[in-house]
Amino acid sequence: MSQSKRLLIIDDDPDFVAGIKSILVKAKYEVDVAYNPKDGFQALKSKAYDLLLLDVMMGRGAEGIMIARKLGKDPNLRDLPVLIITGIREQMAFLFPGQAVHPHFVNVDELVEKPVAPKLLLEKVEALLKTAATRKAQSK
Amino acid sequence: MQPEHTILVIDDEEVVLDSCTQVLAGATCRVLTAAGGAQGLKLIEESPPDLVFVDLKMPGLSGFDILEIIRGRYPHMVVIVITGYATVSSAIEAMKKGAFDFLPKPFTPEELRLIARRGLEHHRLLQQTLALRREKELLRENFAAIVSHELKSPLGALQQNLYALTDELADRLSHEQQARMERLKSRLDDVLKLIHSWLRVFSVDINKLKDTFQPLAVAGVLAKAVETVQPHATRKAIEIVPKVAGPLPDVLGDEGSLTEVLVNLLGNAVKYSFPDSQILVTAEAHGGQVQIAVIDRGVGIAKEDLPHLFQDFIRGQKQPEGAAGCGLGLAISRRIVEVHGGSINVDSEPGQGSTFRICLPAAPPRPDASATAECKV
Repeated sequence: MSQSKRLLIIDDDPDFVAGIKSILVKAKYEVDVAYNPKDGFQALKSKAYDLLLLDVMMGRGAEGIMIARKLGKDPNLRDLPVLIITGIREQMAFLFPGQAVHPHFVNVDELVEKPVAPKLLLEKVEALLKTAATRKAQSK
Repeated sequence: MQPEHTILVIDDEEVVLDSCTQVLAGATCRVLTAAGGAQGLKLIEESPPDLVFVDLKMPGLSGFDILEIIRGRYPHMVVIVITGYATVSSAIEAMKKGAFDFLPKPFTPEELRLIARRGLEHHRLLQQTLALRREKELLRENFAAIVSHELKSPLGALQQNLYALTDELADRLSHEQQARMERLKSRLDDVLKLIHSWLRVFSVDINKLKDTFQPLAVAGVLAKAVETVQPHATRKAIEIVPKVAGPLPDVLGDEGSLTEVLVNLLGNAVKYSFPDSQILVTAEAHGGQVQIAVIDRGVGIAKEDLPHLFQDFIRGQKQPEGAAGCGLGLAISRRIVEVHGGSINVDSEPGQGSTFRICLPAAPPRPDASATAECKV
């Protein structure tokens, strides 16, 4: 099984990033990091990734959500699977009243809470990659 | 210049209205008059005055009626009653119904001025108290939210790195070192959970739950909660016995948070029950309400703890070995139940057990249900 999948992390907390990046690298993923939404979007535009790990609360507020919305509108990036990593799961429902706790912004996304245990992180990443691959195969 | 105060006088005697206006009206004080209760209430609704004088004995709505209506709609409005039959009993009754003071007829201009001044001063202090209370509430919420987030992010990053390091160092650490890592993680986890509860209590606007209320079957919520708690009960050989009395009306609510309340109550019941005992869960319709009770035969709660039980950060004195928690569960439960327009209370006898009771207003019947009922008729 070739596991040289390429992932991008967008999160403004370098320490937290270090804690998930090492888990992903150890699992043989290729991992890039952007520490703010602007660099993150730039990276997505310039390089093809298999999956995005996205923080919600960055900078002045829920800037991660803005990225996710932008991705949903971009025909080239709409199918990129996204793992939303949030420290504010319990508030998500209140940020988006009337919606499920897990708001879908792009075709394939999932939500996990910070901190995330290594096993769960890897399971989620694998599952998302698999779902995205199946979708791609079906659309062809 | 806008007058500082507005005083409303409600009296069916024109002479009283005129004399009050003459004595009280001035550059800083506007006096409105109403010859009857209905007109007076209309004026209050248009623009709430700072002080209301109301005659007790009037045709139509009496002063007592008006007092009661004002109490219900404007709990902080200052009302002084005027009456011609200045008996002690009517004075006491008016004060009991929430009047600030009492003015017997006939009164001198000086008496009227004095009592009006006191009434207005009381109004000012009340408003100040309310403003301070609001400010305190806001400060508390904001402070807690900021502190929690500032604590949560770094602790989350710390925990993440502990996770990663434990993994990376797995084959290099001795058993003792690995055990220490596990303990570190579990301690950090406790702190994170505490902050999580804290956030729920202080910063989340629980009223927003109302936006997504829907009709719920109580039996379903109950079953879900029992299922969640079952493993803990089984571990202590405790039997949970649900008793739902007949078909129950739905309640209007948020399924997730109501389940949380029941899980919380059942969890407590398991925690404070003796092994090999039973916990009874009952649900029944009761005068437009659905009543749910969780009854255990456990350690019970000391009398002195009962009044504080549903407040923030209170945990009973008697802690069984190994009971964890921060004392927020019941406070959160109370808030959730209250948002649903219900109430929660407890009966307990130390050594005998506790009964927690939740009352929720029954939802109006679902449209499809009423349609079938009509067909039968």
